[in-house]
Amino acid sequence: MRRAFSKALCSAAEKDPNVIFLTGDLGFQVFDEFVSCFPERYINVGIAEAQMVAMAAGLAKEGFRPIVYSIASFMTARPFEQIRICVSYPDFPVLIVGAGGGYAYSSSGVTHHAGDDLAIMSLLPGMTVIAPCDPTEIEMLFPQMLKLKGPAYMRIGKFGEPEVPAVEPPVLGKARLLKQGDKVAIVTTGDLANVALEAVNDLHKDGICPLFYHFHTVKPLDIVTLEQIVSKAHTLIVIEESSPVGGLASSIANWIAYGYYKPRLIRLGPPDKFLYSNPARETISKRYGYNKQGIIDSCKQAWQKV
Amino acid sequence: MNIQELEKKAREIRATCIQMSCDGKEGHLSSSLSYVDVLVALYCGWLKIFPDDPLNPERDRFVLSKGHGCTSLYAILADRGFFPKELLTKYNREDSTLPSHPCIHTLPIMEMSSGSLGHGLGVASGMLYGLELRKSKARVVVLMGDGECNEGSVWESATFAAAHHMDRLLTIVDYNGIQAVGRSDEIMGHTSLEEKFRSFGWGARTIDGSDMKSIVETLGQFPFERNKPSAIIAKTKMGVSFMEDDVLWHYRKPSEDERQKALAELNAKPIYGQTK
Repeated sequence: MRRAFSKALCSAAEKDPNVIFLTGDLGFQVFDEFVSCFPERYINVGIAEAQMVAMAAGLAKEGFRPIVYSIASFMTARPFEQIRICVSYPDFPVLIVGAGGGYAYSSSGVTHHAGDDLAIMSLLPGMTVIAPCDPTEIEMLFPQMLKLKGPAYMRIGKFGEPEVPAVEPPVLGKARLLKQGDKVAIVTTGDLANVALEAVNDLHKDGICPLFYHFHTVKPLDIVTLEQIVSKAHTLIVIEESSPVGGLASSIANWIAYGYYKPRLIRLGPPDKFLYSNPARETISKRYGYNKQGIIDSCKQAWQKV
Repeated sequence: MNIQELEKKAREIRATCIQMSCDGKEGHLSSSLSYVDVLVALYCGWLKIFPDDPLNPERDRFVLSKGHGCTSLYAILADRGFFPKELLTKYNREDSTLPSHPCIHTLPIMEMSSGSLGHGLGVASGMLYGLELRKSKARVVVLMGDGECNEGSVWESATFAAAHHMDRLLTIVDYNGIQAVGRSDEIMGHTSLEEKFRSFGWGARTIDGSDMKSIVETLGQFPFERNKPSAIIAKTKMGVSFMEDDVLWHYRKPSEDERQKALAELNAKPIYGQTK
């Protein structure tokens, strides 16, 4: 996903002279092409996230289109005050990119975990929050995000994520149909769409055909598609690598609570805990039941209750 | 304006701040009064401003980082003709254009919304970086409080500005010596802000921030060193004898007696008509 991001960034900078990229001393060799093509529009601010975000606000005030980049945990929680006051409050078009959101840096320990990135950013009024599932989504959503008038956050993964085949192209703000089905609906965000798709393909072999939507856009919540989903499915299984407080499942639960439809809601994802002792990402998803097998098991159980 | 005229203007702006504090029923008076001399010197000669075209791209940018000291900025903006003086009567009212901390949504001619400390210098460094990319000659001035220099983000920004040789960036620290609940000297362990800025790679000077001549001369020497951002540590005063050096005036509003006493001492009238 990072290669895709770097490519999308270069292409955007070529089209728009106001695109300017700031990094908090991260992305070794990832942005070499950008640096060589647009040296003046590449700023390594240093390990100074507060400065990076405040500065991006100043650049936006002068008509530039800043993109700020760091590891997701250092990009969201650390300069939260600057994002809130300097970017979100004046509604500046700054694109905040968190690399390795969720537990992509699982083995680096709690300091590098960002299970809360989507929740933290979703707290801010006017903030668009997205978690693409594959390189194609990054490349296609990135230019759409640059057209926004206000701020946005994008969680990106690491390197070499497989492409997720989809029925529709990604449109910002709109959930994306990955597989038709009914009765049970699977809803994902971020790169968990990959593993969920593997699970769904296996389930099809057993005659279990859940509806499958991918919510790359976490905020604003696509309630139009949600209504279509709950009119077809009695059970919603939300799979997210996000804290249970303030993530996609939490937003959907909130929407259901106030709405007309009352589907059964199941959340598969990490718990509201710090995860010590350097667990591998696969260990975490297995332990908390949101790996491929966990998804298959939950789906089968829900299917039997038809 | 000559020095005497600038001093007279500063007294009028102080009188206006005191009136606004009474009318708007909002404190933070000391934070507004202390840097009035600096503000007058900036807006009545040094800054390139366009009152009829406030957001002209060629303007010098003035960033009030210590947003709680905004009454004097509102007053000088009205005085310079950026908006009608009568608007000052609306200071701190509900739905006001002039809230108690500046907001670019209500007053879009402000360079930034402020109120939370430690952000102005970072935002200013971004503005200047952008201006330089556009080959603009505009300068960017940031007004900070001495207490504000407690914030770590200030020093992240100071590092960046020096590393990028931002010699069109001027930071003025309003060294009034008083923070919200204590003396800035004690809280900062009696260390020198001038030395701190110097060691961060800035040109820095400490001046008597209540001496108009000294302020004007110092501004005239900007930038203090080639290829370096400049900092002025302005040791300031409220300009009203019974308010000097008293942390209470961070909070309270003048009584009617105090208002009259202050205006009499200043020998100046507010620049706008009173509401009652």
